Amino acid sequence: MATSLVEFGAQIRSRIFAFAASGKADFFGDPGFDQLARSLFRLQFEANPAYRAWCESHGTNPDNLSCWQQIPLVPTEAFKEVDLTCFEPGAASTCFHSSGTTGHRPSRHWHSQQSLAIYEESLAGWFEPFLLKEEVQEEALELRESDGRWAILSLTPPPEVVPHSSLAYMIGTTIRRFGAKDSLFAGMLDSKGDWALDTDRLLFALRRSLCGNRPLILMGTAFNFVHFLDLAEQRNLRYRLAVGSRLMETGGYKGRSRVLSPEVLHSELSRRLGVPPSHIITEYGMCELSSQAYSHAVGGKPERHFRFPPWTRIRVLSPETGSDVEEDATGTLAVIDLANVWSVLGVQTGDLAIRHDNGFQLVGRIPQSEPRGCSLLTV
Amino acid sequence: MHLPALPNLFLADLPPEAPLTPSLVRDACISVKRNRTQWLLPRRTSELVDLIAYNADRWLQLDYPLRRIALQAGAAELGFSTPTMARGLDAFFRQLTHDHLMGWITQDLGDSRRLDEFSAPSAELRHGRLALARGPELLAQVAAGNLPVSTLSLMVAGLLLRSGQFIKCSQRSTILPRLFAHSLAELEPKLGACLELASWPGGNEALEGSMMGESDCLVVQGSDAVVEDLRRRMPSTCRCVAHGHRLSFGFVTGEVLGTFLAKKVAERAAIDVAAWNQLGCLSPHVYYVEDTGSLAPEGFAAALSEALARLENAEPRGALRPDEAAAIDQRRSLHQLRAAHHRSLHRDAITVPRGAFFEAPTAETQVWSSEGSTAWTVVYEADPAFRTSCLNRFIYVKPCRNLADALRRAEVVRGQVSTVGIATTEGRSQELALELARWGVSRVCPLGRMQDPPLAWRHDGRPSLAELVQWTDWEQASS
Repeated sequence: MATSLVEFGAQIRSRIFAFAASGKADFFGDPGFDQLARSLFRLQFEANPAYRAWCESHGTNPDNLSCWQQIPLVPTEAFKEVDLTCFEPGAASTCFHSSGTTGHRPSRHWHSQQSLAIYEESLAGWFEPFLLKEEVQEEALELRESDGRWAILSLTPPPEVVPHSSLAYMIGTTIRRFGAKDSLFAGMLDSKGDWALDTDRLLFALRRSLCGNRPLILMGTAFNFVHFLDLAEQRNLRYRLAVGSRLMETGGYKGRSRVLSPEVLHSELSRRLGVPPSHIITEYGMCELSSQAYSHAVGGKPERHFRFPPWTRIRVLSPETGSDVEEDATGTLAVIDLANVWSVLGVQTGDLAIRHDNGFQLVGRIPQSEPRGCSLLTV
Repeated sequence: MHLPALPNLFLADLPPEAPLTPSLVRDACISVKRNRTQWLLPRRTSELVDLIAYNADRWLQLDYPLRRIALQAGAAELGFSTPTMARGLDAFFRQLTHDHLMGWITQDLGDSRRLDEFSAPSAELRHGRLALARGPELLAQVAAGNLPVSTLSLMVAGLLLRSGQFIKCSQRSTILPRLFAHSLAELEPKLGACLELASWPGGNEALEGSMMGESDCLVVQGSDAVVEDLRRRMPSTCRCVAHGHRLSFGFVTGEVLGTFLAKKVAERAAIDVAAWNQLGCLSPHVYYVEDTGSLAPEGFAAALSEALARLENAEPRGALRPDEAAAIDQRRSLHQLRAAHHRSLHRDAITVPRGAFFEAPTAETQVWSSEGSTAWTVVYEADPAFRTSCLNRFIYVKPCRNLADALRRAEVVRGQVSTVGIATTEGRSQELALELARWGVSRVCPLGRMQDPPLAWRHDGRPSLAELVQWTDWEQASS
């Protein structure tokens, strides 16, 4: 059992790496997961004062915890309130913020080089099987770079422009790990500081990929993609991206564009880019976690049953009683993420989900508590 | 909800698969107007008042069949427990007496005969002036989804004014307006023929256009966005009376927080939180409590939590949808976290690296809540800033030095406050009411009666009957 967070982090990294190499998740079977989770809980209880205070208010401590299901969950809202971190002051170098409407206090998740290394391993280990899975597309294979790297086009601004965005960091990581040399970020900040598309870069990258008939991985938020659809409408653009191209879409709208249902968004994107719905993957992630869930693997049936990686567990909790709901019932989604080594492993999200045997289906955000019909003020 | 026990009298009685069309709505409006001219317009006020009062009496009988349907089906449709629903209905129908109804007309129109004949109070008579009030020919109503009784109250007003009525019910709560309309039709089918009820998802421009095109007055209850949207589409021939959403809070003075009285005050405060599960504009979001009493505001919060727990036994809140329950759960967790954080800061200042990253809120917070359910929650926060509650029996208690202090904190909602419930001594109540009135509150009442306004209350500070009528002034020739 790891005796320090450094040691635990190294252990988790190597196990995720082993999973990525072999596709086997034996380490994270139920007994293994339970042991790892309890061991991480003990370390965080000791090193994270704000989390310890929360656990103590629930009467839970490492000595009376008998299984991972008893690990106290911290609501994502709490990341807006207190520093849920195991780092000593000054030891953290990066802070991911939740996106949100202007004026709202964001969640903050602190990271250091150490924790980012785990974050990257976790991200890559699950991104690969869902987004990079190769189909038998001989033509496309030949046309990809000989080193097997992908042309990745991000609609978000680059991480150096938005250093607090975990999504930009995530895409930056995928480009470093899997991207071809000409991968690029086609997003920028507009004069108001909002995310916008750098139209020239975007169209340049799209056309280059078309000319070379090279498959493209297009990544961005839902509103990024709506901005693209608006642009395509305005300029009457319609492409047929190279076979094997794929899209990763994530996150909500936060008032930054018109809102489309996932079905409409995907069918419009499919129409404008010539990418089949089976190649449009939805990612579910948040700055408070270090692992992500995906709706389906590329080429698969777009079911929208999200799955997190084997080093996590999800719970869907009844908001009335706090206990796990039955299969196919709705409740609050919680994630126990072993890659969240330096913060808290148990996070209760602000999302409602339906529990399924192989994952979960998103129902929507928990309504922010405003009086009905009024939006006088928020918490 | 389709009720097989009721005959199909209104559009809202049709099974959900029956489609509404703009011409169906228009035809319904036209026939309501025709019926109104024939059967309602010639009626005398006293007859109508007697009829309404008699009908209300039936609703107060425990074995009245429509009441029983309302309690069962209504609880299922609206999510209120049967006792909560019964309390709300009783409070409403008890108001509908002959005296109250006549009093309402006199208050709003100056004389109880004004809908029947030219008449005037003495001051006007002295100057040879008489007046007659006329209700709209077709009074349309877009009802809000949260509370059923304000819709019923307007239906009563429409009857008194001899208006044909078209009520566009909220999709979430059609049941009570329908049952009330059926009870009137049961007494007098011709009266029922002067009413029409329907429901559709709000924002349907074609159906709403038909309705507004035929009406001369539209009352809208709903969010500011709904009101704005309808106003934009309204034809110039239709007058709009809008009630946007309002909110309310309570104020408890130090004098009533002696050991004996405090429990009673907390019980009344609990009644206001529990009534209609806190979903109305008149329900409190926050209780401001003066910190000058022998019981501290935290102590009052604790007493309130005990009172809510007792009330939960007698008048359970009922089941919520998962998203509503999750909103409470999330809000509770947030405050529990603040409470835990605050405790740890005070217990051992060294364990938390203060100011290491950013300053966490450190004001004292305490949470009392029902075990194993979201039935009720009391949050005491030393931070006096006004907060809106997530409702369904979730209440904040906050300390203040005095009323002026509380009002400073509530400045963010100034102009949107409907009711302030107060618990104080007789000596101070006048001074407090005046201070609240000058600040812009439209109703002041004792704690325990916030959700129970009298029939003649001035909704959002406007006289509700007077708001709907058109006058004919008659200046008599001097003799």
